[in-house]
Amino acid sequence: MAGQRRGFFCGSLDHSLSRRGFLGAAAAGAATFATDMTALNVLQQPAFASELKKQQKRVILLWLAGGSSQLETWDPKPGAATGGPFRAIQTAVPGVQISELMPKMAQRMKHTCIVRSLNTKDGDHGGGAKLMMRGRRDEANVQYPDLGAVLAREMGRVDSQVPDYVSFYFATEGRGFAPGSSGFLGARYAPMELTQSMIPENIRRLADINDLDHAERADLRDLLSKQFTQGRVNSTTSSHNEAYQRVRGLMSSEKLFDISQEPQKMRDLYGPTQFGEQVLAARRLIEAGVPFVRVARAWWDSHGQNFETHQEMVPELDHVMATLLDDLEQRGLLEHTLVVTLAEFGRTPGINASLGRDHFASAWSATLSGCGIKGGAVYGKSDPTGNRVVDGQVGAAELFATIYRALGISPTKNYYVGSRPVPLTEPGTKAIDAVLA
Amino acid sequence: MASANPDQLKLARNLNSKGILFGIARLANSSRAFVGSSDFKVYEVDLTDVKAEPKELGAHNSYVTSVAVADKTIISGSYDGRLIWWDAEKRSQIRAVDAHGKWIRRVLATPDGKVAISVADDMKCRLWDVESGKMLRELSGHKAETPHHFPSMLYACAVSADGKYVATGDKVGHVVVWDVATGKELATVETPVMYTWDPMQRRHSIGGIRSLAFSADGKQLAVGGMGKVGNIDHLEGKARVEVFDWQKGERTHEFPGDKFSGLVQQLTFHPDGEWLLGAGGANDGFLQFFNLKDKKVLRQEKVAMHVHGFALNEESDTIYAVGHGKIMVYEMKA
Amino acid sequence: MNMLRVRQVLLFLLLVFASRSVIGADEPPPAEKPIGNVVDHFIDLKLKQENITPAPQADDATFIRRLTLDLVGRIPTAAETKAFVESTDPEKRVRLIDRLMASPGFVRHQATEFDTMLMYGTQASIRDYLVQALTENRPWDRIFREVLLPEETDAKQKVAGEFVRKRVNDLDRLTNDVSVVFFGVNISCAQCHDHPKVEDWKQDHFFGMKAFFSRTFDNGGFLAEREAGVVKFRTTEGKDRQARLMFLSGKAIDDASVREMTADEAKKEKDRFEASKKAKTPPPKPTFSARAQLVEMALQPEQREFFARSIVNRIWHRLYGQGLVMPLDQMHSKNPPSHPELLEWLARDTAEHNYDLRRLIRGLVLSKAYSRSSRWQGEDAPAPRLFAVGAVRPLTPMQMAASLQIATAAPGSFPALEKNEEFEKRIENMEASVRGFASSIEQPRDNFQIGVGEALLFSNSDRLQKQFLGDAGDRLLGALKVIKDEKELVEVAVRNIYARNPTEEEIRVLIAYLQKRQDRPIEASRQMLWALLASTEFRFNH
Repeated sequence: MAGQRRGFFCGSLDHSLSRRGFLGAAAAGAATFATDMTALNVLQQPAFASELKKQQKRVILLWLAGGSSQLETWDPKPGAATGGPFRAIQTAVPGVQISELMPKMAQRMKHTCIVRSLNTKDGDHGGGAKLMMRGRRDEANVQYPDLGAVLAREMGRVDSQVPDYVSFYFATEGRGFAPGSSGFLGARYAPMELTQSMIPENIRRLADINDLDHAERADLRDLLSKQFTQGRVNSTTSSHNEAYQRVRGLMSSEKLFDISQEPQKMRDLYGPTQFGEQVLAARRLIEAGVPFVRVARAWWDSHGQNFETHQEMVPELDHVMATLLDDLEQRGLLEHTLVVTLAEFGRTPGINASLGRDHFASAWSATLSGCGIKGGAVYGKSDPTGNRVVDGQVGAAELFATIYRALGISPTKNYYVGSRPVPLTEPGTKAIDAVLA
Repeated sequence: MASANPDQLKLARNLNSKGILFGIARLANSSRAFVGSSDFKVYEVDLTDVKAEPKELGAHNSYVTSVAVADKTIISGSYDGRLIWWDAEKRSQIRAVDAHGKWIRRVLATPDGKVAISVADDMKCRLWDVESGKMLRELSGHKAETPHHFPSMLYACAVSADGKYVATGDKVGHVVVWDVATGKELATVETPVMYTWDPMQRRHSIGGIRSLAFSADGKQLAVGGMGKVGNIDHLEGKARVEVFDWQKGERTHEFPGDKFSGLVQQLTFHPDGEWLLGAGGANDGFLQFFNLKDKKVLRQEKVAMHVHGFALNEESDTIYAVGHGKIMVYEMKA
Repeated sequence: MNMLRVRQVLLFLLLVFASRSVIGADEPPPAEKPIGNVVDHFIDLKLKQENITPAPQADDATFIRRLTLDLVGRIPTAAETKAFVESTDPEKRVRLIDRLMASPGFVRHQATEFDTMLMYGTQASIRDYLVQALTENRPWDRIFREVLLPEETDAKQKVAGEFVRKRVNDLDRLTNDVSVVFFGVNISCAQCHDHPKVEDWKQDHFFGMKAFFSRTFDNGGFLAEREAGVVKFRTTEGKDRQARLMFLSGKAIDDASVREMTADEAKKEKDRFEASKKAKTPPPKPTFSARAQLVEMALQPEQREFFARSIVNRIWHRLYGQGLVMPLDQMHSKNPPSHPELLEWLARDTAEHNYDLRRLIRGLVLSKAYSRSSRWQGEDAPAPRLFAVGAVRPLTPMQMAASLQIATAAPGSFPALEKNEEFEKRIENMEASVRGFASSIEQPRDNFQIGVGEALLFSNSDRLQKQFLGDAGDRLLGALKVIKDEKELVEVAVRNIYARNPTEEEIRVLIAYLQKRQDRPIEASRQMLWALLASTEFRFNH
């Protein structure tokens, strides 16, 4: 009886198999999966050596919000009517050229692969941002966790003293389009979002309580709560207590956010811009074990004056990204750390009357550097004008599968929403083997 | 009495072009003009013949941003950092010079045709001997970085009628007037409104001084750009012109713009000082005539393209405006 | 009715029949039977069937806290709890329910709840309208009508129009939100393709529903509707189709206005709309309003099932922590209710009693199922859908903020309960003072997880300290300052915050905590209060 009565999924086992069924799984049963969530946490205990190895891996996502232009970065088309004024330059990898606005990355292409054949079909900021942060579209009743939340769960530790998912997004434009979202994984994997200050809100003890009292007050709270929750456990009460249990650990991670702890020389290397400082903070965080940090650089939406905007912003990206890769390499972290550049979409090859480029999701680029990546590889190809993909077309799902594989996570791994298995990427999705080490 | 009357301004004809045209220069007392295009090429066009195909002179390696005529010599500047000298009669290249380390934004010639002047995003202004192609002088002082640590740009320059003064204007609204003879800075003026840095919402900038012009007597200096911009994704600031008595360091005129949005890309004084003409645009464009005596806008007219540059005829009663895909000829005969 | 629908209905009848036959000879309760008894009848039947003995009734202190939170959106004061617990009146639960429902706090809380339900995600509020409507106890069908068809000449009703106005620029969203909020169905899947497994929802349904709204638009801040218009869509098979004005049940209206307007008509109409825009008046109404047709159709006796079942399910969900159908927007044939007959009975009863939600709420909180203990003593707790044990529900932002304010007020600072008007005024002022704090608490939804942000806010923000934990005379901490006896101090604190007496164990632990900090007694008390306020018991309605 119990097995059949919840017939509100579009089926049951065929979800993991049938694409049609998957789409139709609108009625995902939020009702029961919550209780599974508490159990899921237990599964995160590092049980095997391979798990331990996996947990050393880290990701920094450089989120180029608003949509940077592939033509002025990773897929230049010099000389084409759509190519714009900037030239292409040879990189350290024979045969691979990128925009002249990125001379520093050109020298470091041995760490980086470019995917030049994204066709993601959504040229809307909100839709595109959600798609590219989650690797798929939400269904009416299944809100998917984004990349950060999935990796926080896959690579974070239950007893972690550091946050699992940190997101810097100071610019106000576009921040609301794809706020960090843990979807059905719940608030445990929601990001610590920094939007105004480099130090997270409420992470510092108030001056009028001493440290011991602060700790013992928390113990008293736990004790009172434990009495109450006897015979009253559900996923929400559990989340309440888990949240408090993480407070002290998070407070001890305050220094990780403080870039003044870095030698001046290191700060000078990253440079004085906000993006540079946040990427330096991101490096400090992942070095301390934070599995996922997003640094959003907004706002690239160059409807007017595309070339001026990219002339201004690309050199900063070039400099900061190159500095980050150097720094990670020198610390021996690059082989464990995946650096991703991604946006909600790219920009039109066509140049509009304001010398701008508009939204374009049909043929654009992303890069993966470091961990698990075949450096110097270029995957896929756009046509000579950049208007469409002519080789190796991939979407968000394939890119996400590739990221998971690079980190040693199986893209077919299932989460369970109620009894419904939800694989990390949609069934049948293939990772891009050609760029994996 | 002047032959030109802005009240009579009307579109006379459109000429075809190839690509987006960024600059135009006329050969004096002729219907011949030279344009620089986004297809990297320099073309000669016949300004009277709507059917004529543009004739190619040759190519740069990037967008041709500006063209100057120095007597019978044509000089073009490009994002490829080169200046190319062309023989107007033979339509052939005379020489190419690696003139700047970064993108060249504007090239001019002195009225006597002896000296060429270029500005580029290496933040330098360089003076060239037209005859030999040798560099005569470098005017250097604009800051390479904006106060917000991003690359600045040097968009605009102008030279006085007597060839004694050169003015240069950069992205953050800083203008320098130089003494050509000594290479020294004579004066600076500031137009900070023309630079919009958005620290919070979008965190980059837009704007910059895009045009400069000296009055015939060299005393007045007009500066063109765009006012403050709310949404810097678009050229939505008001077209803006300020005029200075640069020797006194005084701003004498402010035209903040009331009708058109976008950048003022080029400015020219009427030789008799009757008006100042500005042109530019955003998605569409505009022509604006200012009466400096009365501090009034004489006439402002919408143009169906963003005007990147224009040239006047000898009578100052015909405007040859260039932009996206065409050349538009406006007449205002008295 | 097409074959599929027929099949569906048959299937449904079969299901109902089958479940009846399991129940046996029990006849459905008569219509005049009190709601609470009917609830218990069906809930207990199912429990018997599953061989489960439900949890015992909650004690008085737990009951008054739960009821006060549910009816007026706050915890009871220590005095309210004491009076209720000590009362020997056998009818005291009914009297309490009636007192709370008669208080202005009931209207305020219901307005907040309905505002959240109707306006979630729009960054707008129609609370002012709802307060007025609920003060007059307007029936739910009238509120539905006023929200979808506001008389915008009436300022209060114009506020109600925000529901449509905030969504009208995205008709797909408006279509789906109306379906979700008022009819309990989410048809957004059917926008792109026929629902593959749930036969109820075809593209025809989505676009049929959209057709009711497609002529509506914002005309200078007023809602306008065109005389004619048509929605076209392409089926997954690639066929171009024209939508009929079709309700979720499949019933459609064919009207001559389902057509394209001529250019001339469109121009004339546009001129009329422009004129009203200039005059800043509501535009003329169309002779045939598609939007009004939807309202009429949805309330027709043969069609009202969606409307009635949905509101019953939502109110039930609010009071019982779990809908009779879950999720709330998936009321379709493939997702049957946990107690189909009960839902049917309540829906019919509510419709027949003029959609009087006060009556429904009163009935639902009078059941034994509502007042069970939330603690399960045995091994595995039964599934929530059996309602064998009281629900443990996170407080809403406003419940949380108001309760914090009441819990931390000095017990002596309240007017006596007999001075009803003064007491209510004080409560109202206290609520008003914490609306800002409420906005820092997250609105719970299904499967809600409390994030570390809230724990950090409580642990380290000075807002909690400043707003609630000061030691002025009207604050709890101020009152504790002057209590010398530690046991008494602990009792006062626990009664104020938890609305119950402390256990022996709690007294021991809390006194030990205070004694360890004898050199700083105010700090010690403040920390103790913090631990009580931040605890799970306070955070939840249980």
